[in-house]
Amino acid sequence: MTTQTETESQDVSLTVNGEARSGRTSSRTLLSDFLRHDLGLTGTHVGCEHGVCGACTVIVDGRAVRSCLMLAVQADGADVTTVEGLAHGAELHPLQEAMWAESGLQCGFCTPGILCSLEAAARDGISDPAGMEQVLDGHLCRCTGYHGIRAAIQRWLDGRVGPA
Amino acid sequence: MSAAAGRYVGAPVRRPDVPKLLRGEATYVDDVDLPGMLHAAIVRAPVAHARITCFDASEAGAQLVLGPAEIASQTESLPSVWLTPDQRQTEAPLGEMTARYVGQPLAVVVAASRADAEDAAESVVVEYDELPAVWDADAALAPGAPLLNPEWGTNVALTATEGDAVDVLDAAFAAADHVISRRLVISRITASPIETRGVVARWDAGTKAMTVWTSTQTPHHVRDHIAHCLRLSTSQVRVIAPSVGGGFGSKEHVYADEVLVCLAALHTTGPVKWIEDRTEHFTATAAARDQIHEASLALDATGRFLGIRDHIIGNLGAHPSNVGAGPLRIAAGALPGPYRFPHARAQVTGVLTNTTPVAACRGFGMQEAVWVHERLIDEAARELGMDGIELRRKNMYREDELPVQTPTMLLYDSGDYPAALDRVRELVTDHWQPRSVDPRIRRGVGYASSIEVTGLGPCSVQEIIGFHIPGFETGLVRVDPDGSVFVSSGVAAIGQGIETSLAQLAADQLGVPIERITVLLGDSAVAPYSGAGSIASRSLTVAGAAVRVAAARVADKMRRIAAHQLEANPDDVELVAGRFGVQGSPGVGRDFADVANSAWLNWNLPATDGPGLEEKEIFDPANSSFAYATHAAAVAVDLDTGRVEVEGYWAVHDSGVQVNPAIVEGQIRGGVVQGLGQALLEQISYGDNAQPTSTTYLDYLLPQNSEAPQIHVECTEHPAPAVPGGMKGIGMGGLIPAPAAIGNAIAAAVPEIAEHVVQTPLQPGHLWELIHRAGLHVMT
Repeated sequence: MTTQTETESQDVSLTVNGEARSGRTSSRTLLSDFLRHDLGLTGTHVGCEHGVCGACTVIVDGRAVRSCLMLAVQADGADVTTVEGLAHGAELHPLQEAMWAESGLQCGFCTPGILCSLEAAARDGISDPAGMEQVLDGHLCRCTGYHGIRAAIQRWLDGRVGPA
Repeated sequence: MSAAAGRYVGAPVRRPDVPKLLRGEATYVDDVDLPGMLHAAIVRAPVAHARITCFDASEAGAQLVLGPAEIASQTESLPSVWLTPDQRQTEAPLGEMTARYVGQPLAVVVAASRADAEDAAESVVVEYDELPAVWDADAALAPGAPLLNPEWGTNVALTATEGDAVDVLDAAFAAADHVISRRLVISRITASPIETRGVVARWDAGTKAMTVWTSTQTPHHVRDHIAHCLRLSTSQVRVIAPSVGGGFGSKEHVYADEVLVCLAALHTTGPVKWIEDRTEHFTATAAARDQIHEASLALDATGRFLGIRDHIIGNLGAHPSNVGAGPLRIAAGALPGPYRFPHARAQVTGVLTNTTPVAACRGFGMQEAVWVHERLIDEAARELGMDGIELRRKNMYREDELPVQTPTMLLYDSGDYPAALDRVRELVTDHWQPRSVDPRIRRGVGYASSIEVTGLGPCSVQEIIGFHIPGFETGLVRVDPDGSVFVSSGVAAIGQGIETSLAQLAADQLGVPIERITVLLGDSAVAPYSGAGSIASRSLTVAGAAVRVAAARVADKMRRIAAHQLEANPDDVELVAGRFGVQGSPGVGRDFADVANSAWLNWNLPATDGPGLEEKEIFDPANSSFAYATHAAAVAVDLDTGRVEVEGYWAVHDSGVQVNPAIVEGQIRGGVVQGLGQALLEQISYGDNAQPTSTTYLDYLLPQNSEAPQIHVECTEHPAPAVPGGMKGIGMGGLIPAPAAIGNAIAAAVPEIAEHVVQTPLQPGHLWELIHRAGLHVMT
């Protein structure tokens, strides 16, 4: 019977939120677990481990990815953005500000994945509410009923920032 | 009262805890990382009913395995806290050589990593001597059914009755001109927060103290039961709820597997972490609803309600859960809804099956009751040829009739139920233009009116109904020497924003900026004792009232101290911009912080007051508080596919005084969409041999954004008479009437199938069958 220490381990080096990061991990480690436990970036959450809920979404080489469906070793050499990389120091990302203003979250567990998905969509040139909502369709939220998230998307696209 | 009073209560104050959630900086239980931490996996029964004939962990290769024998000898059984007098089982052993449902925890395995622990768990040899299994309540009641507890001779675990005697209802029904009867089914669902359960347990062998981080709604309740099961005193156990990713009732008690993890921690040198994965969650976390209602409504020729009666058969799962028959009994109590029934009766039968135990879930019997009374009323309207709104209004309690006690012994406190109904009708009439061109798409609007029992609850009532948790809440408010404010209470933050609402209440009483206030919840070592925690739409009402009263006492004391130190009459003292001043004496004053500091020094205080600025108020409400609502749903039903789209939705609610309208609105919106899921999508299902067949999000469908309609929400405010501050609860209210509104809309859209619209979920396959049976399908 193999243990994790016996399973083949590999070095993984990647850029996360603009910083060079690395670790040595078993080849079976999921990217979500590597980010959370090896790199200590616990903002990315795990909701289902079968790619449906979207809570684990991060941005890998420009694309929104379910980090629970990717192995850490597959991200070797990649450029990754997690929720921790969206704000600029004390200043929230405009979408984060909009989510706060429009009550787009309650418990916050699904939120990091949604933020990364929508940011990836924006970087990909999507700039209309319908396009953004189609991305939102790939995420499960149990708390808000999605209304506040839709309102936040609209506020963000309208370019409004700051307090309500 | 200070000049700043009223600045926060009633305002949609932004939650100050949200930025850390947005930044990914919050600590949920799986983010807790301790030195030397080990990881657990749970060995679970893969079969629904079996005697365990062999348990051999010798080849597992784990650091620790605790199997049924060790668990049985080292633990007490996990109690159920809501009991009927005849309940046959009031607790569930943690270690048994019998498996009674797929997913039942049998053993705990500890290793250096979760992956290693799972590998080890798979290497534990368990042999099962399978027994026949039953998963359906009807089948479990049938003669010859497999018995979960053969010595009982039955699968009936408990019975209960609410309301009038049998012969009273018999007489009412015999005198009726119309009787509408249906067998209504609310299928099994699960609360399914996006964060699963999880525990980190650390045992300090030196101080003999256990610390448990857990995603929970009820820290003290969890503490009490962990201590009981592990034979520790409660003072040896500290439970800390970190950020919690939703609960919806599923996290309102400690689970057997969580206790096993704590037990493991007693044996290891390092802390032990266990995080439930989603597949486990579908069998390991409590299910909900799973009720059959054989219900009847009696009316006279004018449509006046004469009586309602119901036999409620509840599938409790493999053993009564923490709340036992609670949801069934609340369904019984809520059966009359907002209506004037001279007589009402519900009989409850709780039956065991080889399925996951059923426990608390948002709505807690009220959603089921509304499904029953609103479907029956709509069918009655159809049979009498009356407008459904008119039939409801005719029978609704008017505002001037409240307070009123119902036949099921609930004391409705305040409200204008017909006004909510009328307003929703007005909104639909003004805003809904059904656009039907395609004859294969049928459109209809359905209504549902509801009451919501909030603010659980008077301790005396808890005793009467056999619910062994207290209903009071404590508000603890302290102004520190530097003028900062600390607030605590026994309720828990589970994502609903209760900390913000409590801060708003305290800030208004004290007359300070809300930024001055720190609210700390969830740590049993800090928070005042609460047996109930955050359940049952109670936190704002009961904890809010307690905090408000405690804060007011602190504010009064500060004003007395300031008055003494300023040599003025307390009535002339006012707090303006952080400074106590005297009306008519500009230039005379004392800073808030200086007054606070002097209180803690006990320097220059009036004779009426001793040192300190901390007040504790225990609020035991005299009555529950009754929120209420009317909802309307506009649906489009595709006759070819059975698919339903909710195209419009309107909700008018009254939850008393709203402390934070944005939070209230968020609860309503989230509740409606969760209700939509229950109405159209969600079902926990079992196949042959009670094997679960919905164990992923591909089988169990939560509503997505594309399915969530635009919802028009309005709120009125009829204060709660029994609550200082007038707040009622809202946590469950958005969900409670939603499935009925949607069901009634479907019946309105396709009246040919209306009499058969009796069960949820109304998935396309089920509706298609009803459509087909009614001859409405298109033959090619």
